[in-house]
Amino acid sequence: MAIAQLDSETLSTIKEESWFVIVGRRFIRHKLAVVGMVIILIFILTAIFANVLAPFDPYKQNLAPSYSNPSAEHLLGTDELGRDVFSRLLYAARISMFVTVLVNFVAETIGVFVGAISGYFGKWVDAVIQRAVEFLLTLPTLPLLLFFSAMLRGMTIPGLPDEWSKAIIISLVLIAFGWLGSTRLVRGMVLSLREQEFVQAARALGASDWKIITNHMIPNSLAPVIVNLTLGLGGTIVLEAALSFLGFGITPPVPTWGNMLQNVQERMWQQPWLAFYPGLCIFLTSLSFNYIGDGLRDALDPRLKL
Amino acid sequence: MTNYLIRRFFQMTLVVIAASMAIYFILWLAPGGPLDELKMAGAGGRANQGFTEEQIARISEYLGLHRGPFWGYTAWLTGEDWFDSIGREELQTSSCRAVETTCSRGVIRGDFGISWNVARGSPVADVLLSRLRNTMILMISATVISLVIAIPIGIFSAVRQYSRLDYVVTTFSFFGTAMPVFWFGLMMIILFGGNQSPLYKAFGFPYLPTGNVILVRPALEGSFLALINAKPGSWVDIAVHAILPTVVLSLLYMAGWSRFMRTAMLEVLRQDYVRTARAKGLKERVVIMKHAMRNGLIPLITIVVFQIPGIFGGATITETVFNWPGMGFLYVYALAANDYPVAMAFLFISAVLVVIASLLGDILYTIVDPRIRLG
Repeated sequence: MAIAQLDSETLSTIKEESWFVIVGRRFIRHKLAVVGMVIILIFILTAIFANVLAPFDPYKQNLAPSYSNPSAEHLLGTDELGRDVFSRLLYAARISMFVTVLVNFVAETIGVFVGAISGYFGKWVDAVIQRAVEFLLTLPTLPLLLFFSAMLRGMTIPGLPDEWSKAIIISLVLIAFGWLGSTRLVRGMVLSLREQEFVQAARALGASDWKIITNHMIPNSLAPVIVNLTLGLGGTIVLEAALSFLGFGITPPVPTWGNMLQNVQERMWQQPWLAFYPGLCIFLTSLSFNYIGDGLRDALDPRLKL
Repeated sequence: MTNYLIRRFFQMTLVVIAASMAIYFILWLAPGGPLDELKMAGAGGRANQGFTEEQIARISEYLGLHRGPFWGYTAWLTGEDWFDSIGREELQTSSCRAVETTCSRGVIRGDFGISWNVARGSPVADVLLSRLRNTMILMISATVISLVIAIPIGIFSAVRQYSRLDYVVTTFSFFGTAMPVFWFGLMMIILFGGNQSPLYKAFGFPYLPTGNVILVRPALEGSFLALINAKPGSWVDIAVHAILPTVVLSLLYMAGWSRFMRTAMLEVLRQDYVRTARAKGLKERVVIMKHAMRNGLIPLITIVVFQIPGIFGGATITETVFNWPGMGFLYVYALAANDYPVAMAFLFISAVLVVIASLLGDILYTIVDPRIRLG
């Protein structure tokens, strides 16, 4: 019987796979998550190239053909002020995606750092931060979001074109409440991570607290944060649309998928596509983000219980 | 336990007061407000159309906006009738100075003030109460229906994981959580409501009302209400009007809750005591109903308990889409109309209910799971 040779050279020449490749391979196994990624990519490209793809200016009013049916010229018809619906839909992708991505990335980053600081330093830092988080969580969210966006809806940022200033203001409102979720997540993970031996080793090697947080605590807590981020992306898009629909988020004439649904109820039966397409875009985007989040959760750590 | 309750009560009071103070100050500092429109109307410089400075000052005194956020909040919370006894008469609203009985007695004594815009001149409490019934009808029906359906579906889906039913349920819950409420509501109205709906036009399917809570004129030919000959204003009328909004709301709740229930049950079914129960030879049904389900329902307590503030606050978006005159709709309307007393009252009561619900949830947890100790 031949005994397998333990050849150290053979072992060391086995190619190491990077973490990204491993995660990527597991992710691809989820067909729906891949479909989700494709859809999101399509929306992002649409948003970036909206000015190339849109046949008409989304702000141009032309009262003669208002409420017209879809035709070769106006692919999805026109709305109540005669603006081309298809062009508005494409430009709305811009604002909606911008707000969603900005809000979630900034809120998650803030949450990660606050959570890491809270969990790592413990004692009174932790107590103060946790009481603040609990206080903010206790307040009813949607009413307060409505409240803040109602208060700020008149404001503009000087120097920026109208749509970006409104987008940034509504983003600030959403960020103010969005960072709470990831804070708790990261704090929980850091609380258990900081007791482990590699942290002691790092301290013994002279690493400063800040270095330990950024090089060890945060990277090891990233898995649930990434999943939370994608789920948050799905949720924010619906939330921003809801705020705009109620008249408080981004107000017309700036097109977003939410406020395109605002005045739709007058002509709901004659022109149902006015109601159908913006909502469909919101729904597809949110669904895709959710499926991506689900795929990521399984790819990053199948044992994750979120 | 009593110690914990007392401590908790103080914390709750502090949180509610801090929250209401924060909201009030933000109302003050934010751009816009009831005086803004008046000032803008006067900015054109046309003497006969605008408001002069004195008129704006008079209105400001009438509304109580002249006294700055700190005294304004104090007046809102504790009432303003005691301001003259400390010599600060100018801080009272002009109507209070004129007629003693119109002074607001403050939230602490149960007076939420007078509405400025939504129902000008009426006490805020009356305005809120008038809407409460409608919201409760909608929310309680939706909550009950969703719970009754979501719990068994979640349990079933967890027990038969990876089966076709499980697949359907998870897809349904994915779709439900990603679905924007207002779009779904609009689609339902287009399909099922009004005499322009394609279902009615094609098949003569009786159509449901598209909004409001009761009929405002006799039911039209071909509608469901005409079919059952409902009397406007009766409970049947309200029930039929509630069908579409309740269905929309229930489906969305069901999507989230069934998934939650499924996750909780999956967690429970992996526990050792379930394995022990099976090993003991108990019938599968007993294992699930008697042992697993009880523990699986515990996380659902949080959800049910936080429906309490929801039952008050209403489903804002659904109410707006269906023109259902409830609390959520009132709140949105009040914000749009810059009616501070109504908005403050709504937020205050919401905060109080959330805080109470949170306490209730914690207490229920200790009752249901003896291993949990409070404090």
